[in-house]
Amino acid sequence: MKDNTTTLHKPVKILDGIVMLIICIVICVALYVLGITKTFSNNTMRYMFKIFLYITMGTMWNLMSGFTGMTSLGQQVFIGIAGYSVAVMTSTYKMSMWMGLLVGAVIGVVFALILSFVLFRMRGMYFAVATWLIAEAVRLWFNSWPFVKQGAGMTVAVKQIPKVRELYIYALTLMIIALIVVYALLRTKTGLGLTAMRDDADASSSVGVNIFKSKLLCYLICSVFIALCGGLFALQKGSVLPSSSFGIDWTVAMVFIVILGGVGTMAGPILGGIIYVILSEFLAHFPGWSNIILGAIAILVIIFLPDGIIGTLQKKLNFEIFSQKRLSAPKKSLKQKADMAA
Amino acid sequence: MQVIQVIINGILLGGIYALLGVGMTMMFGIVKLTNLAHGEFIIIGAYLSTVLANAIGVDPILTIIVTVPIMFLVGMGLQSGLINRVMKIGSEPALLVTFGLSIILADAMLLIFSADAQRANVPYNTASLRIAQGLNISVLDLIVFCISLATIIVLSIFLKKTYLGRSIRATSDDTQAASLMGVNVNRTYAIAMGIAMATAAIAGMCVSMKWVYYPSSGGNYLLTAFGVVVIGGMGSIPGTLIAGLILGLAQVIGGANYGQLIAYVLMVLFLAVRPQGLFSK
Repeated sequence: MKDNTTTLHKPVKILDGIVMLIICIVICVALYVLGITKTFSNNTMRYMFKIFLYITMGTMWNLMSGFTGMTSLGQQVFIGIAGYSVAVMTSTYKMSMWMGLLVGAVIGVVFALILSFVLFRMRGMYFAVATWLIAEAVRLWFNSWPFVKQGAGMTVAVKQIPKVRELYIYALTLMIIALIVVYALLRTKTGLGLTAMRDDADASSSVGVNIFKSKLLCYLICSVFIALCGGLFALQKGSVLPSSSFGIDWTVAMVFIVILGGVGTMAGPILGGIIYVILSEFLAHFPGWSNIILGAIAILVIIFLPDGIIGTLQKKLNFEIFSQKRLSAPKKSLKQKADMAA
Repeated sequence: MQVIQVIINGILLGGIYALLGVGMTMMFGIVKLTNLAHGEFIIIGAYLSTVLANAIGVDPILTIIVTVPIMFLVGMGLQSGLINRVMKIGSEPALLVTFGLSIILADAMLLIFSADAQRANVPYNTASLRIAQGLNISVLDLIVFCISLATIIVLSIFLKKTYLGRSIRATSDDTQAASLMGVNVNRTYAIAMGIAMATAAIAGMCVSMKWVYYPSSGGNYLLTAFGVVVIGGMGSIPGTLIAGLILGLAQVIGGANYGQLIAYVLMVLFLAVRPQGLFSK
């Protein structure tokens, strides 16, 4: 973040104490309970399923772009690969959906590992466009690959189609794990290195950040979680197609979620994901207009609220929810500890 | 003969590829902007040309008399109204704004023109010149190639010889020094975008004659254009010609099924091994 120095001197209230933790746990438990006890209607749970997965994807895109400086326009490649893994494992090899999800995640990681050797030689816009190129190349390949039935797509053939409630639980669990992993990663030394790298790659490298290793870790985490999201989406939809599974719409969604919520904030993608799903469901009533409106909103947000909703609020009101920054934290957390003790 | 035919086809295809990329390479080199909406600009050019040609009943080639000035002005307006503003925030927001723009334009075209395939019909669509036994050159391909080459030559002469062209190149080399010498940088950027849009209008006209296109085709042409930029070297106009030829040949050799795939893989390899391109300064 450009204004690191200014925010450091202001008293920034960091909301990550025990109270916030309890609030988060309560929310998570409540979501589980409401899901398991069927308090939510199936329709609500379908919405929530989408919200959880979009929050996960947004958080991952934010980890790459907002915290690490790798703006990717090709993360849909992992959605597609995982979706196809689920379809191939269940319909061609007659295995369970778990096997499909596992294979999807493993192939996603291996693919990311191979790509990293090519991609990490690039920065900025080169990286962005190269990721897009790769996603398009994979889509074209799937379009003419007989094994995955070319452009016709495949169906997911699980013996027991998972119920909405089950999918809801899986998606919720995935989101919670994703949020914890990202937060934990950013609070470690590696995470500090990642943010340093985003702000100045050369300088961080000269003070001992292993750029390749840090980037790789981050990229692999993103590919696993996005692949799992893709697998769950395929299970819910029941079919995969090269044009939609590898479609640019996935990236549009991730970019929108992060920009709207706030690049480089923990809470940004959560708010962004919720708004995105509600907005896109609403926009489904106006066929054809959805991307136009989302795109226009994104451009307006970039111009008028470059920090996104959460980012702007944090700056205006001097607070940060689960900040990854540690420099401004000690005083407060010490004081909080003192308060707690007293 | 087969080999010569393939090479000739590749070269002819390379001409239009170079034209697709030349507008993007200018934006890269001069404005330092990755314009992800360039593919949509090309498709807009294609639609404008087809609609106009059908309405008045003239050859699509003649429509560029109207479409080029329109697109030039639209480009100038876009750059000075929106993109110059966003570029002040940073290069990444600018990249994402052009991304948003491309999504908006693609879907707007889908609303206006529906998803139907389009193609400009010209009488010389299937005509071909027979040079020798088993060696034919399509008249359409030849015309498109000549238009592409002419556009690129005119553009490079403009940049080399005219005062405006020199001020554009000066801005590209050193923005600060150029602005100290009295070059209005924002205006130069707007003109560069205008020129990029104008080449997109011509490229779109060529695309509409040569291929079937859809509102969603922009992405493909963007990636081809980007490949030309990457292989040729940012902002290098002769580089675009060579890069176009390389991509054209790769595509023709790969055939209908794998041509596009080979071209993409080639681009990624180039990005990884020599990201500054063949002809960078």
